[in-house]
Amino acid sequence: MKQKHMNFATLLIFIVFLFTIAGCNKFLEVEPQGKLTEDEALSDPNAATNLVAGVYNSLYYGGFGKTTVGFLYALSLDVASDDTDKGSTPTDFAQLGEIDNFTHTPNNFIFDNIWNGYYSGITAANRAIDILNESTFDEGTKNRLLAETRFLRGLYYFNLVRYFGGVPKLIRVPDPSEANNAEFQTRATRDEIYQVIIEDFQFGVDNLPLKGETPAGRATKGAAQSFLAKVYMYQNNWTKVFELTNDVIMSQRYDLVENYNHIFRQNPGPNGNTRTDDDGGNNNIESIFEVQTGINVGENAVSPLYSNGQGPRSSGGWNDLGFGLNTPSQSLARAYELNDTRRNASIIFVQPTVAEGSPLNRGTILWDGFRIPTQDSVVNERYNYKAYHSSIAESAPLSGNKDNKPKNIRLMRYAEVLLMYAEAAANLNNPAEATAKLKLVRDRANLSSSTLPGTLQNIWNERRLELAMEQDRFFDLVRQGRAGTVLRAHGKNFVDGKHEVFPIPQTQRDLSGGRLEQNPNYPQ
Amino acid sequence: MKKLYIILAVLFCLYEGRLSAQNITIRGTVTDGQGETLPGVSVRVKGGETGTQTDATGNFVINSSPNATLVFTYIGFQTREVAVNNQTSLTIQLQTSSQELEQVVVVGYGTQRKSDVTGSVARVKGEDLAREQVLTPTQAVQGKVAGVQVISSGDPNANPTVRIRGVGTMLGGASPLFVVDGVITDDIRNINNADIVSMDILKDASATAIYGMRAANGVMLITTKKGQAGKMVIAYDGNFGVRQAANLVDLADAQQYASYLNEASTSNGGNPLITDEQLQAGGNTDWYDVVLKSGFRQNQNVSVSGGSEKATYFLSAGAITDRGIIQTNGLDRFTIRSNNDYNLASWLKLSNLLSFSRSRVRNVNLDIFNLAYRAAPHVPAMVDGKYGNTSLSNNVSNPLLSLDKTNDTGRGTRLQGTFAADVRPIEWLSLRSSFGVDLNFFKTVAYNYQFDNEGPNNVFNTAGGAQVRPTSTLNVNNLEANKWVWDNTATISRKFDLHDFTFLAGFTAEQYNLNELKGSRFNVPADKDQWFLGAGTPAGSTNDNTGDKWTRSSFLSRLNYAYDNRYLLTATIRADGTSRFPRQNRWGYFPSIGLGWNIVNESFMKSQNIFSTLKLRGSWGKVGNDQISTDVYFPIAATNIPYFFGGTELQGIRFDQLPDKNVKWETTEEFDLGLDYGFFDGRLTGEVDYYNKTTEDALINIRIPGILGDTNSEYTTNAASFTNKGFEFSIAWNHRLSDDLTYSIGGNIATNKNEIINLNGGQALRDGNPGGNQGFTTFSDNGQPIGSFYLVETDGVFQTAEEVAASAQKDARPGDLRYKDQNNDGEITDLDRVFVGAYIPKVTYGINGSANYKNFDLSVTTYGTGGGMIYNGKKAGRSEARDNREAEVVENRWTPENRSNSEPRATLGQMRASTYFLENGSFWRINNLTIGYTLPNSILTRAKLERVRIYASAQNLATITGYSGFGPEFQTSNALNSGVDLNIYPTTRTFSFGINVGL
Repeated sequence: MKQKHMNFATLLIFIVFLFTIAGCNKFLEVEPQGKLTEDEALSDPNAATNLVAGVYNSLYYGGFGKTTVGFLYALSLDVASDDTDKGSTPTDFAQLGEIDNFTHTPNNFIFDNIWNGYYSGITAANRAIDILNESTFDEGTKNRLLAETRFLRGLYYFNLVRYFGGVPKLIRVPDPSEANNAEFQTRATRDEIYQVIIEDFQFGVDNLPLKGETPAGRATKGAAQSFLAKVYMYQNNWTKVFELTNDVIMSQRYDLVENYNHIFRQNPGPNGNTRTDDDGGNNNIESIFEVQTGINVGENAVSPLYSNGQGPRSSGGWNDLGFGLNTPSQSLARAYELNDTRRNASIIFVQPTVAEGSPLNRGTILWDGFRIPTQDSVVNERYNYKAYHSSIAESAPLSGNKDNKPKNIRLMRYAEVLLMYAEAAANLNNPAEATAKLKLVRDRANLSSSTLPGTLQNIWNERRLELAMEQDRFFDLVRQGRAGTVLRAHGKNFVDGKHEVFPIPQTQRDLSGGRLEQNPNYPQ
Repeated sequence: MKKLYIILAVLFCLYEGRLSAQNITIRGTVTDGQGETLPGVSVRVKGGETGTQTDATGNFVINSSPNATLVFTYIGFQTREVAVNNQTSLTIQLQTSSQELEQVVVVGYGTQRKSDVTGSVARVKGEDLAREQVLTPTQAVQGKVAGVQVISSGDPNANPTVRIRGVGTMLGGASPLFVVDGVITDDIRNINNADIVSMDILKDASATAIYGMRAANGVMLITTKKGQAGKMVIAYDGNFGVRQAANLVDLADAQQYASYLNEASTSNGGNPLITDEQLQAGGNTDWYDVVLKSGFRQNQNVSVSGGSEKATYFLSAGAITDRGIIQTNGLDRFTIRSNNDYNLASWLKLSNLLSFSRSRVRNVNLDIFNLAYRAAPHVPAMVDGKYGNTSLSNNVSNPLLSLDKTNDTGRGTRLQGTFAADVRPIEWLSLRSSFGVDLNFFKTVAYNYQFDNEGPNNVFNTAGGAQVRPTSTLNVNNLEANKWVWDNTATISRKFDLHDFTFLAGFTAEQYNLNELKGSRFNVPADKDQWFLGAGTPAGSTNDNTGDKWTRSSFLSRLNYAYDNRYLLTATIRADGTSRFPRQNRWGYFPSIGLGWNIVNESFMKSQNIFSTLKLRGSWGKVGNDQISTDVYFPIAATNIPYFFGGTELQGIRFDQLPDKNVKWETTEEFDLGLDYGFFDGRLTGEVDYYNKTTEDALINIRIPGILGDTNSEYTTNAASFTNKGFEFSIAWNHRLSDDLTYSIGGNIATNKNEIINLNGGQALRDGNPGGNQGFTTFSDNGQPIGSFYLVETDGVFQTAEEVAASAQKDARPGDLRYKDQNNDGEITDLDRVFVGAYIPKVTYGINGSANYKNFDLSVTTYGTGGGMIYNGKKAGRSEARDNREAEVVENRWTPENRSNSEPRATLGQMRASTYFLENGSFWRINNLTIGYTLPNSILTRAKLERVRIYASAQNLATITGYSGFGPEFQTSNALNSGVDLNIYPTTRTFSFGINVGL
């Protein structure tokens, strides 16, 4: 071969090339592109604050997906009580109808989505807590952030324990390798969970600032005290309830909004244009803790479907406001005394169809001037006014997507603190205080003409009317030990010893390898 | 720069030096045994680099020294060597080869004689691919190769699903690896079928292990055309046709619909849902008529090829138009290919393969099929320019309006190129370095028109309903991907006596980058010329920019050894590193060994003349799969998770994905035993194979308990193992009855038994929820095929109240479906579910035939599968009471008068997941029928044309199936829920005619 020398040179170059590249194992080290990794996130000084914001964000979980306090959770609790019916058309959303009738099974996806939503929130909280504990913030900031996170975790466990009974106790993020341990895969007792809740809220009471000393929306000392009082109420620890509610009242940070029907609006005042704290709107003087929503570009700072899911539903001829689910029951509508302003503030009443030749009925004019036509164009007779979000007078999602209406969800109001105080007083043989606080709540509802004695029965009834469709009634009936009596009288298939709690989602039981025990009397 | 000159000068001198030898010019003709001239026969000077090919009339011209030896080779014929001996004119006759298997196959980083191959390799010729009137080469393979299942789609821009020897993985990467002219790629939609010479399909580990990391699901090697030295060849192919839906489901008309719903409602004590007035006032709409169309389709190609001894060229251009079968749907694609070889010196060849494609696709949301399936038939599609308000009547968007009010157009530009240098410094050593790039630009502009459902601009004939779009939106998405692959190999071929060695070693590196830029705006004007982000309002605008990157590098080697053409050995090993796995698991090692015995070459076989081929082969090997998303092992924070504090938005972060920080290679161990046979001088040929594949550590998304807080309760990890076993059998008969009549007939059949043998310690996976309240339908458990249907069994229909009372369904009524209470616990629950089959077919087969009589040619290809089941998800997932029903369900429903035992009574609610919705997915289809006529030479010579053939072709002419849906074939991204029929593009039928012209 003539060109041998040259060919060996070529070969040599070739081999050199080969090993240069091959020796470069670095070539195979590729970081995720445009994504925030753990190391990068935790080297950011704002990481802890941002992680806590991420925990708050779990309050938005809603729509038909996993949820915390949103659509599926709120509706399932309201329809289970005697406050509301499933609503919409008879065939719409059968799974919600099952809960309305207490024919639900562990396979109902609503339960699974609630389970997943809450544990997703709890995991986010646990991770933030783990990181905060290692952080080098000054003690004050660190403890405030810890307290806010633990407040949310306490809130989530409180809702879970009332919804499902004892649930798995996770107060740290397990390593994937230990995730299958019985410690996490089996249910803790109710008491163990309540212990977590009490410790979390107590940490909040000890470390959170008062309302007004922290931006609206962040957990406050008052919020922790109010929820801790509520927890003790479920444990019949009336001394604690009395102390804690008294502290909230004495803090002077809260009062009742003058007009009940302004509480659930975005802006204060009758026309939503005057900014005074005591006249309603978001974060009003009565607000102790509420889910903060807002208009942003991603339209993801809202609890999806919370408002639209409950909006009046058209049967044709007009562009409706929603799905028409969770409609106030007749029983609720009849429960109000004459002149009780809360009736028309809580319920949108649809006007009856006008017979041929009768005078024109303009239908129902809502507070913002929106007109709902008469019954012939509307599916249901009543709708939830508290979930109404005005497309005229209040912020609209940028895309116009009605599912994403920014509706703040009120999770704790001062009125409830007064009623808890009254109930504690009644239980502690202090009828005068009980009557006095009950009167405050009734006076605001334009019922000052008569004074009801602060008996347990009166307070319980007042709780129903004051907190209608605020996801309290069902738990309250169970707490009061009369869920079966009341709900069966209401025509529901409530079975004692079974329906006080909802079933553990079958999917989750399967995923635990059967280690998650089902609640009594549900299919095993 | 100066150095370069010197190198070029040296190269030039060497080159010139070779040419200046004392040569003579030889002219000649090559014919076959019958005296017919043979075009395209390779003619080269033995031991030299000079070579040419015979032209279309079998003539050649070559320069060589007067005492050289010329070598004539032609596929299907015996190679012949002829000494020149100072002759300047030669007539050469070539004898047909006794063995069809003498063909050369592409085996990855090289080629091999088919008779030397120890693995299972199948070849499909380009002309057989080009005959099918389909848009992608993969779809054209359907039915042609045993053990290769191709699931096609009618969607013009779809990438067909290919499964070689069963479903080999659970996550996305179950498709084979595609290698185009040596360059690894994932998507071959840019390749024009007419440009393909051959497709070689590697099925077993002995063949695939050279592609280790990606080979677990088989390899498809595509070779595109190159020019041949000699006369310039110009070819034109044109095909024009019409595409339509092959099969539609007959849905209830307005009258049937109303009677069904009303009966269902009144029998439950309700009011009629559709009043007579509504029925009178409405229309009678067949929504499929409204949304479907017959789509025009054309495919035209022109190519020019040729060259000299120094360089060859192939240049082709193709244009496809396919209007699809849904209104507004459509695809246009234009491709150019340029493949050139440059023989710079006897020891140096440079080559380039370049392909450019430009496509425009108008997408439709396939949910349209679901809408059309559900929409109420008494609502008119459109009256006087106003749309019927279906959302008001039954909560379904008007399908026509959905189509009209969206314009989602994608424009793709793709440039794929390979540049290679082949160096042959010494006779037995060849070095190759090739650099392949694949640049892909895809831009999508999706405009959603604003429309009102009330007021003066109401688009509906009545106001209200849920279908409304208050503001227009424009989404623009710009995707830019680039990939490069650099392969370097050295091959040593040596022969000592009867020992034949070929040794290959190499190194490859690969990198992929993706950059996607997206933006959206509200209120962009509806005029097309305004569809730019800048024309929208700033409020609510979004933008996003994401990326992806991965790298791989590998070392590979292969030894081929043959002793006396009788005993064959192939051993390969490949080491692969990938950035997709964490450092500790990064490298995978994939060995294989194959043995072959050419029995026919044994001395004791010399005297027989029954077998022309008889080869026994066996192989074992391990291959891998890294086809998972890039960042799966990194804990990634979700960012920009907002919350409002004090009215101000704060962007939070959350780690809500639980990653497996220890993911590793998924490996498949394969065993193959095969026999190649040929009888009667190669007229009857075929292969038999047994294969057994075990996939271990299969990557899978497992459902994890909600308590772990993962955002979608999924965890990607190496959890599953499963096997695929089966037999493959293929046979082909070629016969020349007379000079006027030749015919061939062939068939192939393959069985597959897919079985999960271990699943994450026994935790079975649920999937396949068709919607509403049905829950899961598939359950992938130990001992079952992947994606097995797990359903409650139906057992007829309750006829009497007594039957109900005696049953486990106390709440049922006569006319309801009766379910089997498998566990006899007195109620029907999920515990009564049983396994009832899977979508994965147990058998796939193809029967193909062709005949030539004088100037006429005829060919038929067919394809079928057997043993797969389909869950009719469209029917099952119907959760809205007022959705339309299938005509069959309405007509045959149980009534006190018509006591059906299969169709239940009219009902509004959704039924539970049961075998009522499960149907047999077996089918047999005539994929293609083509009749052609080649114009006789007498006419051609006058017109100065080489060849003119006209033909008529029908694609998907007929399908025989028991499935009542749109078609038994559909693609799903996930093996766990395949076989659940939801938004499926119906199979289409194409009638076309075409012309092939050669100049």
